[in-house]
Amino acid sequence: MQRRRFIQSMAALAAAGALPFSLSPAFAAVSVDDLPKLEGELTLYLGRGEGGLYENVLKAIEERNPGFKLRIRRGPTASLANAILAEAKAGVKRADLFWAVDSGAIGMVTAEGLAQPLPADLTGQLHENFQFSNWTPVTGRVRTIPFNTDRLKAEDIPDDIMALADSDFKIGWAPAYASFQSFVTAMRILKGDKVTSDWLRGINKHAKKYAGELGVVMAVERGEVDIGLANHYYSLRLKSGKPDARVDLAFTRNDAGCLVNASGILALTEGDLPINFIRYLLSKEVQSYLAEQAYEIPLVDGVKPPEGLPNLALISPPDVDLTKLADLRPTIDLMRNVGIL
Amino acid sequence: MKQWSPSYPLAFLIALIAVMPVAVLVVLAADSPQLFDTRNLEILSNTISLMLFTAAGAVVIGVPLALLTAYVRLPWSKFWLVLLAAPLAIPSYIGAFTLYAAFGPGGEIEQLTGITTPGFDGLFGSSVVMALYTYPFVMLTVRASLLSLDASLVNAARTLGMSLFSSLWSVVLPRITNGIAAGALLAAMYALSDFGTPAILGLDTFTRMIYVEYNSFGLSQAAMLSLQLLVIVGLILFIESRVKGTRERPGKALTLWPGRLRTSLMLLASMPVVLFSIVLPLAVFGLWLWREGAGGFELTYAWNSAYAALFAAIASVLFALPVAQAAIHGRFGRLMERVSFLGFGVPGIVMGTALVYVGLQFSMLYQTLALLVLAYVMRFLPLAVGAVRSTSERLDPSLVKAARLLGASRKEAFRRITLPLSVRGIVAGAALVFLEVMRELPATLILSPLDFETLATYLWRVYEAGYFGQAAIPGLLLVVISALALAIMFYGERWNQTDVLEEEPSVS
Repeated sequence: MQRRRFIQSMAALAAAGALPFSLSPAFAAVSVDDLPKLEGELTLYLGRGEGGLYENVLKAIEERNPGFKLRIRRGPTASLANAILAEAKAGVKRADLFWAVDSGAIGMVTAEGLAQPLPADLTGQLHENFQFSNWTPVTGRVRTIPFNTDRLKAEDIPDDIMALADSDFKIGWAPAYASFQSFVTAMRILKGDKVTSDWLRGINKHAKKYAGELGVVMAVERGEVDIGLANHYYSLRLKSGKPDARVDLAFTRNDAGCLVNASGILALTEGDLPINFIRYLLSKEVQSYLAEQAYEIPLVDGVKPPEGLPNLALISPPDVDLTKLADLRPTIDLMRNVGIL
Repeated sequence: MKQWSPSYPLAFLIALIAVMPVAVLVVLAADSPQLFDTRNLEILSNTISLMLFTAAGAVVIGVPLALLTAYVRLPWSKFWLVLLAAPLAIPSYIGAFTLYAAFGPGGEIEQLTGITTPGFDGLFGSSVVMALYTYPFVMLTVRASLLSLDASLVNAARTLGMSLFSSLWSVVLPRITNGIAAGALLAAMYALSDFGTPAILGLDTFTRMIYVEYNSFGLSQAAMLSLQLLVIVGLILFIESRVKGTRERPGKALTLWPGRLRTSLMLLASMPVVLFSIVLPLAVFGLWLWREGAGGFELTYAWNSAYAALFAAIASVLFALPVAQAAIHGRFGRLMERVSFLGFGVPGIVMGTALVYVGLQFSMLYQTLALLVLAYVMRFLPLAVGAVRSTSERLDPSLVKAARLLGASRKEAFRRITLPLSVRGIVAGAALVFLEVMRELPATLILSPLDFETLATYLWRVYEAGYFGQAAIPGLLLVVISALALAIMFYGERWNQTDVLEEEPSVS
């Protein structure tokens, strides 16, 4: 249960300011002042832009490094992953870096052996459950149950995700959304295909489908549904724009319902420049910015988690290897057979 | 015996290019494990229902408005025509999203007025939105047929004692069924290939499922679904080819002069359409802008959109000329034209994917503006061909013959007779392509060059991240630039009718 300890200690950090992480020998976050200057040009494939927040980070990095030019290609994460695979097959090389919002897409690219190995001192900045040899998570997100505060209290929501299937709640979900599919993959890994299909069928009887999880959270807030299934930051962003929003977050315990997933970056080109660029993303400044502005969970030590993510000590995420979430195909087939895709 | 037209080789080449994405799809789909299952049946029935309801809705709204704008003498008639055609300037996904946000429990309408409105989604919502944004096609095609009808038949019917309504019903309507069918088929094609509306309103159609499969790395399944969708598109194209244009002797079109009260009532009756398709989306944008403010927007996005669209419009017209010529010339040319129409039914995301594979074979093309423009051309060529053909078709062939007889070469006759007389069609076609390219999203996302952000891709970016306020400025800009293109299109159309309309004041 390394992950649980990690989240708990994050909560402790939030409470006590920035104490050194004592349980695991992780490095404290590096400040951009201590990072090597970037010189040259890189092409980044950026899966989704977070409405300017990632852009601001990239712009700031460019401003700090006058000799550095970043060329960006934006698109849906999956289609960029498809493009990288097709480019590799055709022997055309365009991207030096791939920043994906979903670890499943990362898995697709690493499985083809296209990702360059990363130095240990870079990956070592993250907690050990988030250390991988050829890619690195940038920020984390936790699966949550947003609920309408006019109708429900946190205590009304079961802390077992499986119990939702037999509940009376009207549930909003976005089965076509990548993070949701990763969550179903996690459930498959933890509970098996049969149980997962039954659960999906059960939910489907009293669920309403949305195009994305922002739509789910909005529907919860306006009372179209009682509860939803969504990544944590959508609710927090909605509340930041609308402080009296009628939505709050509930968490399940130790099951796929509170899976912690990550956005990640990998280098497709050898050399120091791509790796040093990644170092900037893991810097204290960038991690703090993404936590404060995008409400994402920072994954390096010594950076405060986003405001409004309550009771972090109570969250107990399941123990699932993030790279296994790339096993998406069986999930899609299962969801299609149940008839929800 | 008819000669082979010199436009055939060019048209053949263009048709060949148009088939290319389909060939890529066949190759990609070869890996697909599932050909068709019960889930596909559900998707098929959703898609067909949406298509039928959209076409029916577009006819119900479009035909009366065509009658109104063609025959009734309205004060500021040009203004009303532009206003009623303005939904063309608004991408249906913007309409879908704003209507969805406005209606339903907790929607913007309830927050502002306290009145709870029913939700707006599923098959019903999608059909209404699609009808609201496709009726201008029916209105414009039917209006064109109405204006080409000689009023003397209606006048005869009325002098023989038929009421106005029943003379419209039994004398005019039978002669414009082809115009109605053409407009309805255009609306149906739109419903088939649109992605944003069903995706936002939660209806599982082919385009949405293709997108879902594509984003879950099911490239071969996506290709298979695309091919199934193309079968339906082919069917619609076949039906469309059966619809024959009627040829009547030209004459002065009917003009009605109702009293002020009746005119006001008629205009009032058309206002709900304007309210839902134009006023409401703009109001919701305004609200978001006011509530959340703009931010992060750069004017280069608008510039990128505009010049990419301009290139595509010019290229489409250049491609459309030989195809339209060939289509007028004979059966083989007709076939080429039909083939080039396939692209219209290929959803943008599919076209984008297919062209990524094509581009990778010719890596100097890959991620260039040229490839993106090619994708636009393949997708929207039919619009240009249709517009060019409809004007060239009306061209009196004896003019060209006379020129040839007087010693002009084929080339000179084309340059000096055919081209100047088709200019209005060319302008209208180019403007229509421009309109569509401005709002095109999925293919742009996949194929655009590095660092190339357009209004549509920026909109998508902020929508995905949930910063609606930031969607307001690019959304409004998109509408404004589209409206300009629409104005140019009408400018082209005005030339079209000067010969009929200019005489009118002196007649009465």
